[in-house]
Amino acid sequence: MTLERLKPHLPWITLLALVLVVGIGDSNFLKPQNLIAMAADIVPLFIMALGMTFAIYIGGIDLSAQSVANMTTVIATVALPLFGPFTALLCIVAGLALGGVSGYVTTRLLVPSFISTLAIGGIAYSIGQYLSGQRALYMDAAMRDGYFGWMVGSSFGIPHELFIGAVLVIAAYFVQSRTVFGRSLKAVGAGEPAAVASGINVARIKIMAFAISGALAAIAGLLFSVKLSGGSPTIANGFLLPAIVAVLVGGTPLTGGVGGVINTLIGTLIVAVIRSSMLYFEVDATRQQMVFGLVLIIAIAMTIDRSKLRVVK
Amino acid sequence: MNDLLTRDMLVKWAPLIVLIVLVLMFALIEPRFFSVRNFARIGISSAPALMVAIGVTFIIIMGSIDLSMEGTVSVCAVAFAFCFLALGGTLWSAAWLALPLALVVGAVIGLINGLVHVKLKIPSFMASLAMGFVGTGFALLLTGGDRVRIEDEAFRSLLTVRWFNFPIMCYVALAFLLIAWFIQTRTTLGRNFYAVGGGEELAHASGLNVNRVRVLGFMLAGVFYAVGALLAVGRIGIAETATGSNFMFVSITSVVVGGTALWGGIGGVFNTLIGVLIVNVIGNGMVVVGLPGYVQDGVLGLLVIIAVVLSTDRKSVDFVK
Repeated sequence: MTLERLKPHLPWITLLALVLVVGIGDSNFLKPQNLIAMAADIVPLFIMALGMTFAIYIGGIDLSAQSVANMTTVIATVALPLFGPFTALLCIVAGLALGGVSGYVTTRLLVPSFISTLAIGGIAYSIGQYLSGQRALYMDAAMRDGYFGWMVGSSFGIPHELFIGAVLVIAAYFVQSRTVFGRSLKAVGAGEPAAVASGINVARIKIMAFAISGALAAIAGLLFSVKLSGGSPTIANGFLLPAIVAVLVGGTPLTGGVGGVINTLIGTLIVAVIRSSMLYFEVDATRQQMVFGLVLIIAIAMTIDRSKLRVVK
Repeated sequence: MNDLLTRDMLVKWAPLIVLIVLVLMFALIEPRFFSVRNFARIGISSAPALMVAIGVTFIIIMGSIDLSMEGTVSVCAVAFAFCFLALGGTLWSAAWLALPLALVVGAVIGLINGLVHVKLKIPSFMASLAMGFVGTGFALLLTGGDRVRIEDEAFRSLLTVRWFNFPIMCYVALAFLLIAWFIQTRTTLGRNFYAVGGGEELAHASGLNVNRVRVLGFMLAGVFYAVGALLAVGRIGIAETATGSNFMFVSITSVVVGGTALWGGIGGVFNTLIGVLIVNVIGNGMVVVGLPGYVQDGVLGLLVIIAVVLSTDRKSVDFVK
């Protein structure tokens, strides 16, 4: 078995190995309640990573995800008394719009995605600061429970976040593998010039991918603000790195074209296990960022398809 | 007349025109803006940013990008502060050794950055972004989240002592600007940056060791980030994990707005000076005329997009990721 044939299976092997190692080290880890709590905790991050998958799948990146989620927590908190249940819609539309603008700037104005999304992130950050008046805001508890309480409750011992995550990943998987749009995404990610030559409207596909990324970042922000019962323009800081790590360790390379949403599910679980293992083995929380940064480099180096890069800039 | 209005001329002079228009506009709205006192304030906020932006200018000229500055600046600042305090805590003792040491730390981080990018063949934006996260994490590890205070009067004279109304740190920044200009125009390395940025395959074919130039570029950038870190510490007297925060957005914006093309090969350190001044005049001017400071990020975001669009020659770009 060569490394090339082993590669697609590495993510879940890594996950299994990590779970075993941590499980042996700490017997409490494998208890169902613990695993469920861990999975429920990671859902907002997972949703953001799910969106990021679409941006990376087409060979781009979305560095605005964290700022969009930040902005959404503020929008959700501010809009809840005004719009009630339609707040969710407003949040998603805001994310969709900002993602769409990122896509437009990238494809029509020819600005590389890491710069365009960085810039759009700056705009989202400003909007969040403006709407919040630079303060942390709190939701009215009764309203939150009335309209969005279902998001954070639990049935049969399973937190509802997991259902939300499951619905989204199934929807994303359906889009990716069972629709023309999904096929086009793969074509664009696998080789853009070929996709252009075969008559795909590449610009439209890419704009839609960035819009989906923005919308899912917004949903992540919404869920996060409901969970914490409030919003602030910096509340989701620290999400960007693990979200990118989740996509890449899952096996979707920076060059796009292979991998996908199921890979990101596995990648997010790897991130979750690494995180909780650091708690169990009493690794200082301050080292987490360093560890994730190194994991990111390793993951990129192992997954990236160098034959696609004529020169590595 | 047509010669004056070509795209090239516009791109070349637009940044300077924008800067002058901005200064005039703010001066008209609020006369207090146009005072030596306020210009000194702009100078103080520009000095560290200019150093960091110059560092990344070299990288962008090569057509690569470096997003590690936040982590690098934090690590350099914290490493400098610890050594400075350990070696005596005042510039008039062995503690001055902490200054060159900070530059060495910057160079080493740049070296690692460059090696990860070149040897592992990872696109520079991702390699450096990841290294930046590692750097911020490392700075946090060193400080444990604490702030390290530098109260030495000799070191703080960077801010407190003024010549002709401007603090010493502005002159230090100018000196390093001239060094950067010298490297850019009068050394082989400087010219090699343009060769790599102008066309990597051509540079390679003409016998240039492109990978070596790249790694050296990242090291040089690291040294300038370290200078930026020293000025940032001199400005507020505190070294902490957050010393580097916001440098990424501001420095990339400055470079691009100054007219250095993201595609490489065009622009230079004086463009970056104009860009840094534009960014800081906007930041300062908004506060002076009474707009809230946070609008700045949004305005800068728009400016970046406009600047990149203007500086892109659409005919020469195949497709964009």
